[in-house]
Amino acid sequence: MSVLGIHRKLEENAGLLIFGILIVSSIGGLVQVLPSIFQDELVSPSVETQPYGALALVGRDIYIREGCSTCHSQQVRPLLAEVKRYGPFSSAGESAYDRPFLWGSKRTGPDLHRVGAKYSDAWQRVHLIDPRSVVPKSIMPAYPWLAEKPADPRNTIQTRMRRLQILGHPYTEEQIANAPERVAGKTELDAIVAYLAVLGEAAGLAEGMVH
Amino acid sequence: MPLDFWAGWIAVLTVVSLVGLAWVIYGVYFGKRPVGEDEESPTIWDENLREGKHPAPMWWFWTMLASLVFTLVYLILYPGLGSFSGTFHWSQGGELDERLATHESTFGVRRHEIARMDLAVIREDELLMRAAKRVFDRQCAACHGLDAGGQAGMFPNLRDDSWQWGSTPEAIEKSIRDGRHGIMVGWHSVLNRTEASQLTQYTVALASSTPSAHPGKAKYDELCVACHGPDGKGSEALGAPDLTTGTYTYGGGVLAIKETLLYGREGVMPAFGDMLDDMQIRLLVAWLTKGQ
Amino acid sequence: MPDSNVYNDRVVTVLVVLSLVWAIAGMAAGVFIAAELVWPTIDLGQEWLSYGRVRTLHTNGVIFGFGVSALMATAFYSVQRTCHVTLFAPRLAWFCCIAWNLVVLTGGISFLAGWTSGKEYAELEWPFDIGITIVWLAFAVVFFGTIANRKVKPIYVSNWFYGALIIVIAMLHVVNSLAIPISIDKSYSLFAGAQDAIVQWWYGHNAVGFLLTGGFLGMLYYFLPKQADRPIWSYRLSIVAFWAFTYSYIWAGPHHLHYNAIPEWVQSLGVVMSIILLAPSWATMVNGVMTVAGAWEKLKTDPALKFIVLALAFYGLATFEGPMLSIKSVNVVSHFTDWTVGHVHSGALGWNAMITFGTFYFLVPRLVGAELYSIRLANIHFWLALAGTMLYILSMWGAGVSQGLLWLSLDELGELSYGFRDIMASMAPYYALRFVAGAVFLTGAVLMFYNFIKTMENRTTVTRRIPEVKTANVVAEVAA
Repeated sequence: MSVLGIHRKLEENAGLLIFGILIVSSIGGLVQVLPSIFQDELVSPSVETQPYGALALVGRDIYIREGCSTCHSQQVRPLLAEVKRYGPFSSAGESAYDRPFLWGSKRTGPDLHRVGAKYSDAWQRVHLIDPRSVVPKSIMPAYPWLAEKPADPRNTIQTRMRRLQILGHPYTEEQIANAPERVAGKTELDAIVAYLAVLGEAAGLAEGMVH
Repeated sequence: MPLDFWAGWIAVLTVVSLVGLAWVIYGVYFGKRPVGEDEESPTIWDENLREGKHPAPMWWFWTMLASLVFTLVYLILYPGLGSFSGTFHWSQGGELDERLATHESTFGVRRHEIARMDLAVIREDELLMRAAKRVFDRQCAACHGLDAGGQAGMFPNLRDDSWQWGSTPEAIEKSIRDGRHGIMVGWHSVLNRTEASQLTQYTVALASSTPSAHPGKAKYDELCVACHGPDGKGSEALGAPDLTTGTYTYGGGVLAIKETLLYGREGVMPAFGDMLDDMQIRLLVAWLTKGQ
Repeated sequence: MPDSNVYNDRVVTVLVVLSLVWAIAGMAAGVFIAAELVWPTIDLGQEWLSYGRVRTLHTNGVIFGFGVSALMATAFYSVQRTCHVTLFAPRLAWFCCIAWNLVVLTGGISFLAGWTSGKEYAELEWPFDIGITIVWLAFAVVFFGTIANRKVKPIYVSNWFYGALIIVIAMLHVVNSLAIPISIDKSYSLFAGAQDAIVQWWYGHNAVGFLLTGGFLGMLYYFLPKQADRPIWSYRLSIVAFWAFTYSYIWAGPHHLHYNAIPEWVQSLGVVMSIILLAPSWATMVNGVMTVAGAWEKLKTDPALKFIVLALAFYGLATFEGPMLSIKSVNVVSHFTDWTVGHVHSGALGWNAMITFGTFYFLVPRLVGAELYSIRLANIHFWLALAGTMLYILSMWGAGVSQGLLWLSLDELGELSYGFRDIMASMAPYYALRFVAGAVFLTGAVLMFYNFIKTMENRTTVTRRIPEVKTANVVAEVAA
């Protein structure tokens, strides 16, 4: 049967048309997405990658809430200038505990994947509360409320860690038991600064990955 | 590299589906019209809405063919079909390694030369000093300010003579490479209000003289002398600031000094030894000591 | 029970109005965040006005509020007419209309409160994701139900595109939103890291593909030939274009992750499929332009047609630029820069918004049975929209290309030539220009809104009887 003949059938039969669209539109996903779900290399942590500690985890969720990733990438590409500017290029294994991933699509501000080593916590605090006090021409929003709010007012840190445990994050019972203590009395600012400080910790193994 | 099964899955599905696409296009262009299609009474969907009878243009066919040929060539040269790494054996990490090697062969000699260059020679070289300023702007200015004059009442001024950890090229280089961690203990639990005020006044007074009969001296000798010394000259080895210069990292006002005394301070200079190479550090040291 | 002999157009009217409201609100949010990038303190230190939160409101407001409401409206309008039947399950259609807008509205508020999944263009948290899924299923039932009841035997090409929109978006949305809830406002993605990145851009790119491109192509294939009063130029070209488009678009997502930490083979497949995509994209542009050819005189006077044809031009531009940006050596420069933002807006403003404006200029007077209140105002809108779009694209090209090149630039010692801060600070004029561009575009949209209010004032939706089928190709029972 000719292609146009088959197509005439599809045009005249809604069920066939739906079926055709479903098949044709799913091939790409079957090739690109499905293997990525079953391929260990994409989801196994690199040796130095640890699941986020309680305070950093809370901080990461605040980072997500404030949409930091709309302006800051966390993905150093293996380009000469980029490696010189930011440090070792990012590897898949480093993001194994990132749900969701925060690689970003836009750098209105600089990449943050290696930012942990570059600034003291004190700088991060001042900068978050009032960016223009340290970077005069910065167009980053100020986040004064972070200093005023408790990090985990609804006390959900253990729930968060347990759910992540279900998804395969190797938290120990001890870590989960101690979590409320680590978060107690901390502000959102403490938490997000703790998160920023660990960014780049796992960079040591960057080279040699995803070759 | 994908597992064998998935490698095959990727390659086969990709190739078969691309062939399928080509087959559909070929069929629409050159295939037979289905029998029974009535040329006399075309479908009218909505009043004036009907299908046009123009054949699909040939230039489109050639465009599509060209992109399929491009695909074929690309997937032969580059990794794409599962575990087949392409005849170029290209990888993004490999590409970076090449670029780094080229960078080293282009600039390596000059950079190593600068890393060992005499500071005075660097300071004389306008081009190098401009390069040094750019390194400073990129790596240091976020804390110390674009003019190196310090910022935010906590990041030290690098243009004055007062260097908490020492102003020799060696001390500055060490600060850059290894970072510094300065801790001033807070004394609010051991000082009452009067003592705190007296000690503050005494500290302020140290900037102009060494008062002997000051009511704050007793507490100074008890709490501060170990780090800042009997005459308030501080210690570069300990990172204890010199209190006689009149410049203060965290502010020289009475309130700021009192706050420091009561609640302490903690200052962290990150270590840049892993982030900067020898040339960059050498340039920075030359630039920072240009007034000496 | 609604009369099955008339078209159900009231739900269409309501969807058009809601879409217009979202257009104004979503674009206003866009202009506001553009202003924040020029004057960063205008958020007044308020959380809910912070860039990171309002940006999400902007993207969701224009895509899901303005865009999807317009797609539902035009799908409901055109599927009835191309099938010669009234809408299947009209109550369900009303449910789609109201529930969808409630989801987007409450979801939009939730963004300002800081609820977000953090996945671009899929930021709504899990309760809203469930809502979307339910509404989308209802949309599918209404749409395909209407098609199943059709009296004209062959299914018209616009319905293929609307059908693909419904099917593929359902698939993408469900998979990409899979997550474990922590609380009502927070969940963790079922996918992590590199895997999540691949899933997310499979979704993200094809939300652009099948919603912002495919869905609106459905709009084009119905409203362009209707308004031009000419048959669609080459039906056969539509066939190859549709299937090549549906096949290749879905593979192109990895070009959002070039040189990122995903395997090279995925990236390469993203490159080649993006290149292949150029041909089917341009096929539709050519099909559209050739359909209008011969009706050029209408372009002088008819604002609806002017908008639709201009939309085609920007569609051609954006779908050419897209494959170019997918080539790795170009992407090295463009990735992470404002070039991408400019590219998106050449599609979003130039193509999506313009074709919707054109369609609405066609639709609104017909729905209420009146002449457009002011052709002159519509013409002013046309020029504002064109100027705003051009200014936007040019400013972001300027910003993006200079960012990309300056970031990569090395000096005579092999050092980076520029610090990030200097490059960022040099963006100020471009960002100011972009703010002006957005404001100009928004002003045009406000004029349109006013024009439509005046057109619809004191009128209700006209009831139109379904005409006799005038074609030989009818469904068997009808013929008998």
